[in-house]
Order: sequence, then C-alpha cells, then structure tokens
Amino acid sequence: MEVTKIKLNGTQQEIMKIKKIPIDNLDYLELYAEELKNNPKLFEQQKMLIESQIISSHSIFKKMFGNKNFKEEARRYLRGIGVL
Amino acid sequence: MKQKAYEIDNDTIIINRDLTNLDLFLKEFLDILKKYSDYLVVSGFVSISTGRTRGTEDIDVLFPIMNKEIFDRLFKNLQEKKFWCFQGDNAYDVYGYIKKLTNIRFAKENQLYPNIEFIPINETRRTKYFEFAHPQKIKIKNFEFKIPPIEFEILYKEIILASKKDIEDARHLRKFFSDIINNKKFKEYEPIIKMKLGEK
Repeated sequence: MEVTKIKLNGTQQEIMKIKKIPIDNLDYLELYAEELKNNPKLFEQQKMLIESQIISSHSIFKKMFGNKNFKEEARRYLRGIGVL
Repeated sequence: MKQKAYEIDNDTIIINRDLTNLDLFLKEFLDILKKYSDYLVVSGFVSISTGRTRGTEDIDVLFPIMNKEIFDRLFKNLQEKKFWCFQGDNAYDVYGYIKKLTNIRFAKENQLYPNIEFIPINETRRTKYFEFAHPQKIKIKNFEFKIPPIEFEILYKEIILASKKDIEDARHLRKFFSDIINNKKFKEYEPIIKMKLGEK
C-alpha cells in the first residue's frame, strides 16, 4: 500500500492510499488488516471491543443467574440452549 | 523506524500490542494446563490475537488425551484457581467425556463467557493431530503460546469450517501475514486438511 503525506489539523501526517475502493465486508476487512500491519495503534480499539464484550457478558449472566447458585442456573440454561 | 504490528524473532511471531483481558484469561488457564499437558490454541483466537476485530465466546484449546490420574490433578488445580467446568464438578464424571473424545468447557467462577473449549485429541483425529505436532510460537508481551502454522489455520478455516466468520478470519490472516506466508506450505497442508473431510 502506498503512503502519502497530507496536512491534517495543521500537522503533517502519513496516510495510506488505498488501491481499491472497498465494497463489501471482506474488502473492508482486508483494508483494516493492511492498515493494522503498519499501524499497531489500531490494536487499542480491538482491546476496547474485546474488554467491553467481557464486561457486558459478565454483567448479563450475573443478572440472569446471580452468584449464589450460578453454576446450577448456568447449567440449566446451557441445557436449555443445547450446549450441554 | 516505525514499529510494525508484528515481527519474527527466530521462529516466534511477536505481536506488538498490549495484553487484553481475554489474553490474560487464556494465560491463566494455560499456566495451569502446561504443568500437566501439552496443548495447541486453535481457531478464532488465532485471528483475534493477531488483530481481527470481532467478539468471541470461547477459545479452542487442543490437548492429547491424558490418563485419569493426570486429568484428576489438572481438574482439581483448575478448581483451586477458580475455574468451573460446564460438564460437572467431579473429575471422575467429567473424564467420561474426555475418554469419548468429547469437548468440555471451563470458565472462571460466576462467569459463562469467555470460556475455554477444551478439545481432546488422539492419533485418530489425524488433521488435528498434525497441527498439534507442528506448532508455531506466538508472543504478546510476556505471554507466549502455541498456535498452528498460519497457512494451516487459513486453509482449515477456508476448507473445513467455512462459515462467514471463518472465511473472514482466514482473509484477515492472509492479509495481515502476507509478508511471511509461504505458498509452498499451502500446497503441503491442503491434502492433509482435505483428509478431514473424510473423517467423521
């Protein structure tokens, strides 16, 4: 991917020039992977997404099953959805 | 020079990012498991650990079938460290699943997700056994673990799993690792992966 320099907010910044206009999910995914390869700062966004999912899951299942009989309630739920 | 998202140090892929709570969950599990058994982390977590931005509920970990005594010690150690097993609280009962090559799951106490899908293998599962025997080391900060060769993981997702999510994961890996992917390895691994189509 070609790098070009432009002035943004008064400072000179390097940006990637895309070769192909993304159309579908896979195109965007490829564009992101290519950009990530050269810009590890993007990992910070991924970390936020992963950790927010963990926090949400924890909160949802704590509300559903409580702490006292968590395992028993969780197993009943897992049997209900066909995981066990 | 600008830092890249990954680099290769000898035979290890180094990912230049901070650890997430998902990494720490897996690390805690593997720190216990490694005392009793070898392992291989496969599937979605391989893509996620290398930057694929999507949610996940589980992390797949292969391990070679172990005898009942070792499993009993592992199971108790996991319980001491506040992991619980979806299939039961008694190692003897849960070992019945392992013997039948049935996957079991572990999560932290009072949690359902994320969980570890713990997948027993032996030589009869030829494709899984092959990847298990050809590990690739990967490291994020101080956390080093083993995954399949990247080319193997890509083909497995494209040929065997082949859901929308898996095709996207494979595409991510192809693009992200385009500088180090070895096309000869695709040719080497393809017939091995296609054997899986003939397995039950």
